[in-house]
Amino acid sequence: MFKSLILLPILFLAGACTKKNKVTTDGTIVTTIGMIADVTREIAGDKQEVINLIGEGIDPHTHKPLKSEVDRIQNAELVLYNGLLLEGKMGTLLNTRKEKGNPVVAVTEGLEDVELIGDADHPDPHLWMDVSLWTKVAGKIGGELIRHDSENSDHYTQRLAEYQKHLTDLHTHALMVFPTIPPGQRVLVTAHDAFSYLGRAYGIEVRGIQGISTESEAGTKDINDLVDHLVEKKIPAIFVESSVSDKSVKAVIEGAAQKGHTVKIGGELFSDAMGQPGTYEGTYIGMMDHNITTIVNGLGGTAPKNGFQGKLND
Amino acid sequence: MNWTVNDLHIILVGGLCAMACALPGTFLLLRRMSMMGDAISHAVLPGLAIAFLISGTRTSWWMFFGAAIAGILTALFSQWITRFGKVERGAAMGIVFTTLFAIGLILIKQTADDVDLDAACVLYGALEYTPLNLVTLFETETTILQVPHAAIVIGATLLFNILVIGFFFKEFTMASFDPALAETQGFRPRLMHYLLMTMVAVTTVAAFEAVGSIIVIAMLIVPPATAFLITRKLPVLIALSLIVAVLSAILGQVSSQALPYLFGLPETTSSGMMATASGFLFLLAWLFGPDGLIKKRTGELEKPMELED
Repeated sequence: MFKSLILLPILFLAGACTKKNKVTTDGTIVTTIGMIADVTREIAGDKQEVINLIGEGIDPHTHKPLKSEVDRIQNAELVLYNGLLLEGKMGTLLNTRKEKGNPVVAVTEGLEDVELIGDADHPDPHLWMDVSLWTKVAGKIGGELIRHDSENSDHYTQRLAEYQKHLTDLHTHALMVFPTIPPGQRVLVTAHDAFSYLGRAYGIEVRGIQGISTESEAGTKDINDLVDHLVEKKIPAIFVESSVSDKSVKAVIEGAAQKGHTVKIGGELFSDAMGQPGTYEGTYIGMMDHNITTIVNGLGGTAPKNGFQGKLND
Repeated sequence: MNWTVNDLHIILVGGLCAMACALPGTFLLLRRMSMMGDAISHAVLPGLAIAFLISGTRTSWWMFFGAAIAGILTALFSQWITRFGKVERGAAMGIVFTTLFAIGLILIKQTADDVDLDAACVLYGALEYTPLNLVTLFETETTILQVPHAAIVIGATLLFNILVIGFFFKEFTMASFDPALAETQGFRPRLMHYLLMTMVAVTTVAAFEAVGSIIVIAMLIVPPATAFLITRKLPVLIALSLIVAVLSAILGQVSSQALPYLFGLPETTSSGMMATASGFLFLLAWLFGPDGLIKKRTGELEKPMELED
């Protein structure tokens, strides 16, 4: 019986092998996260069809894989992903495809080590939180579009320049409004560590309640230390995130209340995913405009309620 | 519904994985240790943490190595606690995997809190993504034959399991049903037990790495349990488990693409649907099996099984 069993995996392998013709593409550009898709659409205009895999409002860490994503990646003319392990297993596989010569590009490729936060082997992947860094990434995406479709290079160059100008305006705006927060209160407390780049770029201390890993839970001592810190510095607000549960945030607020210090929830921030598609917050600029405005006003600074270009609704 | 060659690749990997798990799963069922796969899925955490501490990287090989050692230790410790602590097997596994998981949490908290180290991120693969890494088996001018890299890994694991169980079939059988008799006949049941547990640990971790956790845990348990409703002859039991395993993979992938489509919804996850399909096949066997609903099975399960080899 077991002799025939040995043949089983071999038979099964043979049965599932298929004849394949040369790979054909459907001309689309596939991106992994909304922030990359948005920038690519802004630069490409109507010249390219951009398909995004991990939907808006979904944390890339908890994304459930689907077969159709594989079809889309294989059919794409160009795949753009973040890299730095943000996409987990999908990122590893995309890297393998890149090494095999497929048209796959990590948009964070080419950034200097000093521009990244964290140790060289495991940098923090959330670099869109620093608008000036994401402006460089936009440049990388624009360059890839030009390389990929050189006939329209003038179109891309012009749109890229316009978009980068827009991003620079947003960055300058952020650099102006963050200093309006009273110096002692420049502490951003959120549920998990996704805001390090924002902290570095705009001069604000960032503290996550739980570590990066979702398996590591906030210990009682961590919560107590954080509460002491809040009470001591009289930090007026902490923030919840669109894609993370706010349980630990509530624990901190209660802890501070017991020590006679009122902390309010300063608002909801977009960390790993943008807002609803079709809204202003569903674009990269809108998402960052919302984050900047919410943080600055929540911590006692003054930023225009409607954002840097008057498009935010509150 | 958009049926492509990728669906065949997924069925290939899923089917091989299901068979690789169902084979040792049959013996786990006979020993009432079916939850071993689930236990190992939690117990790998300290293995990952220690492998990271030693190597300083999260590369697959180190993570696999750490996880495999932790898996084998789970099996060993469970056995020792059962033997020396006089604790029932299920409880022994529970003690071991919760303790190991907790040690893993503590290790990560103390040493690597700033690194994303959970199993879902650094160890588990995704069945759905396996067609992204294809290996060419042969190529001519007109045709190209490719299979996912994971199919080779899992296929090798399955082959290894078939060889080990085939070679020690008598010993495994004896040790499962009547350890005392096996001892007197010189079959060394304890050694066989450790061999089986090592096999389970390596299979589980290799499959976690290639295709993710849910399908592995399901296929260790459900196909053997389904076969057990239909037959009590060991060779038939094994063959039926393998058939149920393959059927689950095929049925699962087809329905992951077709079922939601019928209701106007986009496709759903393949691994989840394969696990669900195995549960559905179990239900069928329970309803329409040889004894079916009519005969109450609970009392019978308590009796030792007859050997009809």
